[in-house]
Amino acid sequence: MRRAVLLVLGIPFVGAAAALLYNWSAVACDVAIGVGFLALLSGWVIIGRNWHSWGYAERADDLLVTHGAMFKKLVVVPYGRMQLVDVEAGPVERLFGVVKVKLHTAAATTDARVLGLVPEDAVALRDRLRALGEARAAGL
Amino acid sequence: MSSVAEQPPDLEGVTHRLHPLTPVAYAGRVIGLVLAFVILGHLDTSNSSGQASGTSAGQATLVTVSILGALTVITLLRGTVALMTTQYGLEAGEFRIDSGLLQRQSKRVRLDRLQSVDVIQPLTARVLGLAELRLSTAGTERASLRVRYIAYGHAQALRAELLGRSAGIGPGVAEAPEHPLITIQPGSLLAAVLLELVSWRVLLLLAGPALAVAAANASSGPHPAATGVGIGLFVYGLFIVAHFIWRRVTTLWDFTVAESPDGLRIRRGLLATSAQTVPFDRIQALYLHQPMLFRPFGWALVRMNVAGYVGREVSEQTVLLPVAPRAFAEWLVSRVVGVDVAQVAVTRPPRRARFRAPLWWRAEGTGSDEGIFVTRHGVFSRSIEAVPHQRTQSVHMTAGPWSRALGLASVHLDSTRGPVKIRARFRDAHEARRILDLQAERARQARRRASAPAPLPNGAPLPDGTALSTVADGGAGGTGPTP
Repeated sequence: MRRAVLLVLGIPFVGAAAALLYNWSAVACDVAIGVGFLALLSGWVIIGRNWHSWGYAERADDLLVTHGAMFKKLVVVPYGRMQLVDVEAGPVERLFGVVKVKLHTAAATTDARVLGLVPEDAVALRDRLRALGEARAAGL
Repeated sequence: MSSVAEQPPDLEGVTHRLHPLTPVAYAGRVIGLVLAFVILGHLDTSNSSGQASGTSAGQATLVTVSILGALTVITLLRGTVALMTTQYGLEAGEFRIDSGLLQRQSKRVRLDRLQSVDVIQPLTARVLGLAELRLSTAGTERASLRVRYIAYGHAQALRAELLGRSAGIGPGVAEAPEHPLITIQPGSLLAAVLLELVSWRVLLLLAGPALAVAAANASSGPHPAATGVGIGLFVYGLFIVAHFIWRRVTTLWDFTVAESPDGLRIRRGLLATSAQTVPFDRIQALYLHQPMLFRPFGWALVRMNVAGYVGREVSEQTVLLPVAPRAFAEWLVSRVVGVDVAQVAVTRPPRRARFRAPLWWRAEGTGSDEGIFVTRHGVFSRSIEAVPHQRTQSVHMTAGPWSRALGLASVHLDSTRGPVKIRARFRDAHEARRILDLQAERARQARRRASAPAPLPNGAPLPDGTALSTVADGGAGGTGPTP
């Protein structure tokens, strides 16, 4: 999805830059196209690595969420601490038919999201989490 | 300190109404404005009586007076509506308050979810003998429930009743007896606020414009415009600082910490007074902080995270101790978390962390025991954070590219919103993972244990009187040691 966004936004941008520079000098135009292509390629690779880095695991008492290729993050959210579970989808996500599941605890710094799920899976995950949360709910 | 020993209020099923003077208390601030304006206007006219611009000044006064008058009427009306429409009472373990004229709303709070109960008296309400009762629940500011205004004695009795029921002692309890732990004397509070203020940020705020002007003048001769801007910025900075000091000193004035069976009781305030009661097990995390200039005096301050303390007044609400001898501050922290904080062994990050945090890696520290997790950091200003295992919400671990190249990672324990952030930074990556798993496991066990409410923790004994009396010489005084 991010790759698609990258291409949709990136190719016209490189094209426009190259077109502007063409009036000035053809060499600069070629360089711009080359640099733009490399940038897009590395963006493609980085997004791929980032996509591979997302993961979650449902353990007996807590949910493990990990993401980030460059800046790695691993979050442990106990089921008993979950206040609410959201299923969300932004406009671009809706275009691609994926949703994200968000977990909230009483702490604002808890950043536990599971991205890019198929809606049916997301709803199933939410219901499982909610059931587990109710079973293990603990006061503050 | 409790002045009026009122009968425990009869709450069950009975609906109560607000105090008849509520509208006046509502309009208090506007009335103050009007008074200030009238006085100022009087001074102004007596000064400029012979001026030619008398009529236009008179017109301006008329406009302002009418605006203020309209504001007064509006706030009085608001207060009257609140008085006429608000009802509160207890119902099946819930405190309920209904209000609103056109849009009726009914707020309820389950007493076993109560985080803290505050009795607040703004200046006007204080003059009238009224008070606002604020019940905090975990959540946003909107989720906290305010009963304003009721008679002061009634507010106190209501607080005792609610806290008693919340702790499961049952209805009809009198105000729990309390014994004061410490009172901060005005002199030491002022000193503490000023010393706490001296930091790089404030120096930059004040000295920055001055330096810039001096540099500009030195390099290219006198420059009136730049000088003007610089002076303007300097005055603005000064104004911000003065406002901050005023706010801090008036809200933290006569700061008293007392202990009672239903929790810690904090009283403070010069013009508007506030009495907070926070049950021990509602304090989510604590930190003991020594700003740079506190250290020569051996002072420390303590702040806390309490769920439901969010919004405008949070920077004052979360102060547990504005200044005290370090030994006392440590004792208080230990008393709240139930473990002697100083006894928890703390380890440094590995030596290679100096490539990530050149100077301050040495000051970082992390440790834990069966009850709490402790971190400390800071080279010049030092602080120690402590969080009981059963209070941690979630745990996470982060590592950026540079840290990962060095094999380092940081572990964060997420607490509720507040000033305390618990971070064990620059740990060895494997150790960080072990800490993460250990904390998750310990928090799980602690939650399981906490299902059966434990008796109040017995902290370490209060450090002997020497520590307190040394500060009494320096201005701060303990109002008597505790058993």
